[in-house]
Amino acid sequence: MMRRAGPSLVLALLSAVAQSHPAPGSMLKIDFRASDVQAEYWVPVSELDFARAVDTGGSFADYLLRHVSLESADGARWRVRVAGVREARYADHAYLVADLRLLPPAGAAPRAFVLQDDAVTHEVRNHVIYVVAMRGAGAELLGMLQYPARRLEIAAP
Amino acid sequence: MRIAAFLSMLFVAAVAAAGPAQTCREAPGGSGDAAAIAAAVQKLRTLLGESQRAALDKPLTFDAAIHWSNLPVGVVPRTGLRLGDLDAAQSAAARAVFSAALSACGLELLDEVRLADDWLKAYDQRPIGWDGGNYYLTVLGDPGARTPWMLQLGGHHLAYNFTFNARLPGATPLFFGSEPIRFEIQGRTHEPLDAQSHAMSKLAGAIAGLPGARLSGTFTDVVKGVVMNGTPGQPMTGGTDTGFPQSYPTGNVDRGVPVGKLTPAQRQLAREAVESFAAFPGNAISAPLLAAYLDPQAFDQTFVGFAGDTALGAKGSYVRIDGPRVWMELVVQPAIAHPQELHYHALWRDKSSDYGGEARR
Repeated sequence: MMRRAGPSLVLALLSAVAQSHPAPGSMLKIDFRASDVQAEYWVPVSELDFARAVDTGGSFADYLLRHVSLESADGARWRVRVAGVREARYADHAYLVADLRLLPPAGAAPRAFVLQDDAVTHEVRNHVIYVVAMRGAGAELLGMLQYPARRLEIAAP
Repeated sequence: MRIAAFLSMLFVAAVAAAGPAQTCREAPGGSGDAAAIAAAVQKLRTLLGESQRAALDKPLTFDAAIHWSNLPVGVVPRTGLRLGDLDAAQSAAARAVFSAALSACGLELLDEVRLADDWLKAYDQRPIGWDGGNYYLTVLGDPGARTPWMLQLGGHHLAYNFTFNARLPGATPLFFGSEPIRFEIQGRTHEPLDAQSHAMSKLAGAIAGLPGARLSGTFTDVVKGVVMNGTPGQPMTGGTDTGFPQSYPTGNVDRGVPVGKLTPAQRQLAREAVESFAAFPGNAISAPLLAAYLDPQAFDQTFVGFAGDTALGAKGSYVRIDGPRVWMELVVQPAIAHPQELHYHALWRDKSSDYGGEARR
């Protein structure tokens, strides 16, 4: 029987390279901090366009807030705030990048939560959201979401 | 161009140009018999140098097994025995391996996908490795033993992963694609996915009017394909089957129409589509899988669905067969070399026996 070799720490994943493959994935890069959680949400414009064609209202930030939410294990809601939005390129793909502040409810430690997220995946069936924790210069994959899954338990590594 | 690569290209072109008068499904092909393949591998080994044997032979590990890709070699470097580097005798011995493992359709697909890459080569300005020589053969494990071993053969738009001596017969994951969809070389027209695209299109057309046949959402690629590694700010790596093991849809919502609810004529089209995908490995590899998929009870529980254009004439068109074990999908994407045109990606997975059921994290 084949078994996976090597450490569990792996690089985060994106689904494609524009040079050869037209369907990149999204990535939620999470930075666990002492009192809150910050994150960058990288969403490829090519795939977002399909999603926004069926969910047209408001800005990109408004769209994300409709599709991304967090709660603690006991169901208490976190606050999600979009601190800013910028354009970026990666591997020849255009992305919108949202800087997020993920604020736990009073008394909850900012180390674990349940992510509810169907941004883009609510429409694009092959789209994958890669959720990674930033660790120094690298990243550790925490999980992936692809339709119909939209719920992922997240814990700081 | 290196002489060996040039000879290899001519060899492939000559084989494809000679072409069968009959369809590949009617032509005799390789048996897929493990012992015959192992014997052909052993003969090839005797013709290889030390570094070539090291490229060919690898231990069978999880990471090695999932190290296949549909992406070009410039994006996902391969470590196997490069077919474009073989001399004439080595090429003939390698072809004997392919001929033992693949049906006539499987061999034709190999030749035509390589020819398509040769066709693309003139447009590879970046470059990302479009080249009919950039196809690789790897043997994972020991074909002479009774323990599991794998034969991997592929490159851009092609990944054969056959597993032998495993808990289950292993023909998958099997990725195949084509850019361009149709092309001409030396006066002959080639359409590598002709049979599969037509079978899937006919199936989609036949079920299009049925409630639930149209799948929701948008498809920009196959759903269960390879994934790239990367974090913004750093180079991308990977592009292999790191999404394995896959999760699959459950229940009966948004999966299409069960074959059990189709008319006999529609059911026949579903059968023909399954058979078209399963036509590539030798019979010893594919027969037990086909039997499982077409078992009446399993077949009745198999869903067929589509999205987009049933004629597969527009990007985003998609057809899927999703059974208790079988997963076959074909999607239409914009072409890369000429984005105003289209190209196909197709994938056959088995929910139980990808990698012969032997790969475990």
